[in-house]
Amino acid sequence: MEQLKTIGRELAMGSQGGFGQSKEFLDLIKSIGETRSKNEEDRIVLREIETLKTRLANPNTPKFKLKEYLIRLLYVEMLGHDASFGYIYAVKMTHDENLLFKRTGYLAVTLFLNEDHDLIILIVNTIQKDLRSDNYLVVCAALNAVCRLINEETIPAVLPQVVELLGHQKEAVRKKAVMALHRFYQRAPGSVSHLISNFRKRLSDSDPGVMGATLCPLFDLITTDVNAYKDLVISFVNILKQVVERRLPKSFDYRQMPAPFIQIKLLKILGLLGNGDKKASEHMYTIVGDIMRKFDSTSNIGNAVLYECICCISSIHPNPKLLEAAADAISKFLKSDSHNMKYLGIDALGRLTKISPEIAEQHQLAVIDCLEDPDDTLKRKTFELLYKMTKSSNVEVIVNRMIDYMININDNHYKTEIASRCIELAEQFAPSNQWFIQTMNKVFEHAGDLVNAKVAHNLMRLIAEGFGEDDDTADSQLRSSAVESYLHIIGEPKLPSAFLQVICWILGEYGTADGKYSASYISGRLCDVAEAHSTDDIVKAYAVTALGKIYSFEIAAGRKAEVLPECESLIEELLASHSTDLQQRAYEVQAIVGLDAHAVENIMPMDASCEDIEIDKSLSFLNGYIQQAIEKGAQPYVSESERSGMSNISNFKSQEQHESLMHSLRFEAYELPKSSMAPHVPPVLASSTELVPVPNPYNHTEVHYSATPMPSVSNAGSSELKLRLDGVQKKWGRPSYSSPAPSTSNNDAPKIQNGTTQRDSVGSANSKARDVSYDSRKPQVEISPEKQKLAASLFGGPSKSDRRQSSSSQKVPKNNSHSANKSHVEKTATSDTVAVKTSQPPQDLLDLGEPTGTSIPPSLDPFKQLEGLLDLTQDSTTLNTGGGSGTDAPDIMSLYADMSLSGQGNENPLSTGNDSASLLSGFSDAANRNGHGVNTVPQLTQQLSKGQNHKDSLEKDALVRQMGVTPSGQNPNLFKDLLG
Amino acid sequence: MGIRFVLMVNKQGQTRLAQYYEYLTLEERRALEGEIVRKCLARNEQQCSFVEHRNYKIVYRRYASLFFLVGVDNEENELAILEFIHLLVETMDRHFGNVCELDIMFHLEKAHFMLEEMVMNGCIVETSKSNILSPIQLMEKAS
Repeated sequence: MEQLKTIGRELAMGSQGGFGQSKEFLDLIKSIGETRSKNEEDRIVLREIETLKTRLANPNTPKFKLKEYLIRLLYVEMLGHDASFGYIYAVKMTHDENLLFKRTGYLAVTLFLNEDHDLIILIVNTIQKDLRSDNYLVVCAALNAVCRLINEETIPAVLPQVVELLGHQKEAVRKKAVMALHRFYQRAPGSVSHLISNFRKRLSDSDPGVMGATLCPLFDLITTDVNAYKDLVISFVNILKQVVERRLPKSFDYRQMPAPFIQIKLLKILGLLGNGDKKASEHMYTIVGDIMRKFDSTSNIGNAVLYECICCISSIHPNPKLLEAAADAISKFLKSDSHNMKYLGIDALGRLTKISPEIAEQHQLAVIDCLEDPDDTLKRKTFELLYKMTKSSNVEVIVNRMIDYMININDNHYKTEIASRCIELAEQFAPSNQWFIQTMNKVFEHAGDLVNAKVAHNLMRLIAEGFGEDDDTADSQLRSSAVESYLHIIGEPKLPSAFLQVICWILGEYGTADGKYSASYISGRLCDVAEAHSTDDIVKAYAVTALGKIYSFEIAAGRKAEVLPECESLIEELLASHSTDLQQRAYEVQAIVGLDAHAVENIMPMDASCEDIEIDKSLSFLNGYIQQAIEKGAQPYVSESERSGMSNISNFKSQEQHESLMHSLRFEAYELPKSSMAPHVPPVLASSTELVPVPNPYNHTEVHYSATPMPSVSNAGSSELKLRLDGVQKKWGRPSYSSPAPSTSNNDAPKIQNGTTQRDSVGSANSKARDVSYDSRKPQVEISPEKQKLAASLFGGPSKSDRRQSSSSQKVPKNNSHSANKSHVEKTATSDTVAVKTSQPPQDLLDLGEPTGTSIPPSLDPFKQLEGLLDLTQDSTTLNTGGGSGTDAPDIMSLYADMSLSGQGNENPLSTGNDSASLLSGFSDAANRNGHGVNTVPQLTQQLSKGQNHKDSLEKDALVRQMGVTPSGQNPNLFKDLLG
Repeated sequence: MGIRFVLMVNKQGQTRLAQYYEYLTLEERRALEGEIVRKCLARNEQQCSFVEHRNYKIVYRRYASLFFLVGVDNEENELAILEFIHLLVETMDRHFGNVCELDIMFHLEKAHFMLEEMVMNGCIVETSKSNILSPIQLMEKAS
């Protein structure tokens, strides 16, 4: 044992140069690695901060030490503590001549600083210098930094050099220069608008890596302006063809797929270019079809490409053959055992369902399984699909499901999203007023404070305006049922504020309208609301105004307004409120109560919330007064714009721009004037929801419905005094300007397959038939009647309903047998795949996905595997100790010498050309043997054969052991092979 | 933008590597890392390797005790990102030989250098292992 320690120490000292890490550093890493709690970690880091503060302040610190300190600083910040005291040293290190130090400096700076940090200015000069370096690695390091640190103001300082580097002889430099330009485009599109053509040029770069990188900026550019790049369709198709035909170097292969990441990017681009463009799409059909045929779907990456193909197919002009292939792929995805595949299947289904709605129906049971899966991710994806396929026949089921789910989650972000979707669907497809109001009540009750305030106003307006064009009875029925439901719900505790506002407003406006409830009853309830929410001024304001309305309607109707004592005291209280708004409202109510019927009728007419009020904006009634004043010598009014000498806003803007220019840093005087494109919307994808024009109807963005530009409301001109709803969509009840037909009848939309009753009978009969076939094949898969019912209500029965519709009674049995057959076939297919599957390990997280027979049975608990690994590592320690105490020590040393020898020989993996596949099979072999714990010497030799750094890894081992970090130590996880 | 961040966090929730492609403050990062690790730890191996979190989609993969988490936006191909993670691990494995958590801790900067070669501006720009590793090897040789 002692001897081993000595050896370790020797190794440690000998490696100082190459390994370059001090005992102190190793100690730090060790202690961080072995901490068990966040508190402990925090203590270590705080101590480290103190150490670093004193160390860094020492001006005589050698450079290699400084590099280490920087990395320790990285740790400080990575673990969540402020390291700003050391930023300046990172900046200093970028000035270093040594490449490694320089790059470490740049790395630290990019991790520490955002592009607007004050210290950046100290680096720009260095970057400029480094971009001119003869050493291309220095140039690359600088370009990396350019991508992270250069902001809009500093772009001009480096732009000319970056452009120059686009033609550099080294492909690595060209690639990074392209990305730097891409970054400038992201930051300030205007600054590089004249350089866009460079991206096109680089697309035909001789190096595939540069070409692949160029696809990134091109993707962004095409996203913003498709039409400018239609001419590139053929080039992209050709590139994709070459990739698929394996013309790219082997090193781009991944899992035997030729450059899959490039393929995916190209397919994305083609999807954009072919969207709604038949001619462009026709160029793509062959190659996309080829890819779908060619690549196996046994590997993850193969499926990733396949999925991207489906996305592309659903985006471009539809092609029946490709759609069929896509549908096949989707059914494969959905039948897979892997949740990842199912997820993609559901997503793909959502994309395709817009083009061919019948596809979803084929997979109804799979969809329902996903909907009921405990996996939240899958569930949400399925809700997204349902949202896309909602129509008036299934809206009730879908929205009710969504609401049930919404009630049970805590994640506010998603709750908001699903609530607004519920509202949207309810507004669009509601089958009845009753249902609509109930749905809205539920949504408001559970997510009222999360939904947009607009939604509340929208609801009030819907109830106020009514739905029927001229059907007043329907409208008043709706209002009555709303009042009814609100009176029912009002007593519940913890109602969200937005919902209470709606309730108060509706009760005030329509509470007494149908004569069912007395004014005193309604006003009593309103008082209760105000008292129960005494801290919410807005609710109180709504309640008081509602009270005022109730009284004025009473007075206008010729009755005496009896103000209940509690109402009186409420008003009294509000008269002295701290809120001026509440005070004003209280005084108004008080005043109204004292007026006569005629006056009140004029102030507060019954059910007039939708009436127009004319407002004289020019205040012409004051003209006489002004005339008088001017005659008395007053100055005539000069408008604000005239006063400041500006006539329009653009003028103002340009001045602002000018000002910002003056404040900004200038590196080269007045060379690159800002082009007029400057205020262009940057292609930040996050804000895509804000981009209103959705050019393609199929491209599934989540905001599909909401982003559709709505024609403005017909009576928009008179919106002044109504609820402020300008720009709010209104879809329900006005077929005149809502694209999908909202009516509940069955014959209006081609999507709706057939009548409800028919559908039900056929649907259930059919699914029974399926049931039988399922039973015979796979008894454990039982489809509960609930699921069948759900399927029927969601999908409206199986497809091919058109034919059935004609004479259902005769055709039902036929169809039954047909579909039974079909499901039979399907089932056989799945059971086959299941059989195949079991012979192969499932794709789990730890699986390498290598087809070479992995020895570990797939069903093995991964934790157990890890334990096995643990034992093994302990074995190796015991072996080492044995070696140390015995006479084997020289052997180990010689082994080490061997290794260093072969290490040198192996240093360039390019020349030895050991590709990943062989390496990995090596790994699995090693793991294999280790797992059986045969002996550890093979493991060492195994280490020899892979990686170029086995010398390092052995040193690391020895060194680390010396520090006391051992696999049997506190945190053995640190030693586990990630790819083990 | 595609990739918004790449994180390596171990089972105890300790960050081992963090690279953000958009600026977040220290507090935001800390909170985000804590939340998503908790979310991912709560999931079992059968469930999807994808989780939605705020406006991110997290694609994660576990190797031994280390989670690799990549935050992407909505337009990204999740399965491809999952394979990208594996490519990253393979690349590190080729460099370090039997890469383990400790390797990444001891050579944090190298792990970052590899990532710098593979991802720029949140886009995957290089997937050839030899192209990724050659600058790092050349740099090691030089110093």
